Amino acid sequence: MKEKKGNLLFFFFFFFSCRPLWLICRRQFTKEVTAKKFYPSRQRLTLPVPPGSKERPVVLNYKKGLKDYCDGNQNNITVVFKDLGPQVSYPTLFFFEYLGPLILYPTFYYFPVYQFFGYKVERVIHPVQTYALYYWCFHYFKRIMETFFIHRFSHATSPLSNVFRNCAYYWTFGAYIAYYVNHPLYTPVSDLQMKIGFGFGLICQLANFYCHIILKNLRSPDGSGGYQIPSGFLFNIVTCANYTTEIYQWLGFNIATQTVAGYVFLVVATSIMTNWALAKHRRLKKLFDGKEGRPKYPRRWVILPPFL
Amino acid sequence: MATLFAALRRLYLSIYNWTVFIGWFQVLFLALKSLKESGHEHVYNAVEKPLLLAQSAAALEILHGLIGLVRSPVSSTLPQVGSRLYLTWGILWSFPEIRTHILVSSLVISWSITEIIRYSFFGMKEAFGFAPSWHLWLRYSSFLVLYPTGISSEVGLVYFALPYIKGSEKYSVRMPNKWNFSLDYFYLAILALGFYVPGSPHLYRYMLAQRKRALSKSKKE
Repeated sequence: MKEKKGNLLFFFFFFFSCRPLWLICRRQFTKEVTAKKFYPSRQRLTLPVPPGSKERPVVLNYKKGLKDYCDGNQNNITVVFKDLGPQVSYPTLFFFEYLGPLILYPTFYYFPVYQFFGYKVERVIHPVQTYALYYWCFHYFKRIMETFFIHRFSHATSPLSNVFRNCAYYWTFGAYIAYYVNHPLYTPVSDLQMKIGFGFGLICQLANFYCHIILKNLRSPDGSGGYQIPSGFLFNIVTCANYTTEIYQWLGFNIATQTVAGYVFLVVATSIMTNWALAKHRRLKKLFDGKEGRPKYPRRWVILPPFL
Repeated sequence: MATLFAALRRLYLSIYNWTVFIGWFQVLFLALKSLKESGHEHVYNAVEKPLLLAQSAAALEILHGLIGLVRSPVSSTLPQVGSRLYLTWGILWSFPEIRTHILVSSLVISWSITEIIRYSFFGMKEAFGFAPSWHLWLRYSSFLVLYPTGISSEVGLVYFALPYIKGSEKYSVRMPNKWNFSLDYFYLAILALGFYVPGSPHLYRYMLAQRKRALSKSKKE
C-alpha cells in the first residue's frame, strides 16, 4: 500500500542514523506495519450525536462492555465508527521528535558547519557554549528516558501526521537555537548570569522530573489512563506544575545563553503549553465537580502563578 | 441594544468599504492615466499615495475578523493581507529601484480591479442589503484571471528586487551583538518566494471552492 511504503522509507532513514537505538525503532515499526489496516488504535467508536447538537460525541471505552452503553434498549445499539488514520504510539512519536534536537545541536557545536554560512573554520569556544551543550543534551536525554520509563499516557497512540508536524517544530527550533548559541561570533553573558541561568534551570529540570513521577503515580500501570486530582509538591498550588517547571527550565537556559532564538522558542513553547494547561484545568474542574460523591477540584493556578 | 450594535456595525462597514473602494478606484484611474501619458516607469509615482493608504487600510480587516465584526476567518485574511503589505511596504516602498519595473503596472492594475469589485460588493451588501447577481458573478469570477496576473507580478517583483535587497543591507542585523541575533532580509525574501509555491495553488483552490459555493447558492435562491 502506498502509505505503508512511505512509512518504510521514513523509518529506514532513521535506522541508519541512530544505530544504538535501532532496536527500539524496529520493534515499534514492525508492530505498526504488520497489523491489519484498521487496527484497534486507529478506530474510534462513539455513540451517535443527535443532529444539530454541538456536544462532543461520547467515546466508547474499550474496557467497558457494550451493555453499559445500551441505555435501556437491550436489543440494538447504533455505534459510529471513525477511522482516525494511521496511528503511531506515543513513545515512538516522542522518541523521534526529541532525537532531532539531540543530534542537531551537537552537530553545530562539534562540526565545522559555519563554513557553509561563510565563516572561517577557526573559532573560540566559550565555556558557556560548552555548558549549554551539556544542558541541552541532558534535557532531551531526560525527556527520552521519561518517555520510555516514566510517562503513562492517557491515549495509546497519536495520528501519524503528528510525527511530521511535531518533528518539524522540535527540529527546526533545535537547529535555529543551536545555530546561534554555537555561532563563531557568539557574545557570552557575564559569568554570574550564566551560573544563575544554568543553576536555576537545573533545579527546575529536577523539579520537573519529580512532577512527572507524581503524575505517573496517579495512574495505574495497566494503562487504563483516566484522570485524578494531582496533589503534592507544586501540584498543590498549580494544576500543571510539570509545564510550569518546564517553562522555567527553558527560561534558565535563555538567561544563561541569551539569544533571541531561544526566547522566541520560549514564548512559542509557553503558549502551546498554556493551551494544554487550560484544557486540562477545565477538564479536571468539569470531572471533579463535587457532585454525586466526587471530590471537588480545589482552587489552583492553572500554569503560571501569579498570571494564570 | 443588539439592534443598535447591528446598525452601528452596518454603518461602519458601509463607510469602510466605500472609502477604501474610492481609494482603489483612484489607484486604477491614475495607473491607467500615467501608463497612457508617461509610460510604465512612472506608474508607481502616480499611484503611490492612494496605494499606500488603501492597501494599509486592509490591515483593519484582520481586526474585523478577530473581533468578529465580519465572518471571514483570520486564517485566510492574515496571509492575504500580509502578502499585500509585504509587497507594498517591504518591497515597493523600501526599494525605489524596483518602482520603474513594468511588473508594477500589472501588479497595481490586477490589485485595483480585484479590490474595486470586492469593496463595492461588500459596500452594496452592507449599505443596501443586496448586490445584483452580475456583481456577485464578477466578485467570484474575476479572480480566475486576476489572481494569476497579480501573483505572477508579486513573485516577479520580489525576484527582481533581490539584487537591491542584497546590496542595500536594509532591515538586516548582523552578528556579533548582545542578543546574539541576526536577520537577513535577503534570505527572508527568498523564503517569502518559497511560500508562494504551496500558498498560491492553495489560495486559488480555496477561491474556486468559494466560487462554487456562492454561485450555486445564488442559483437556489
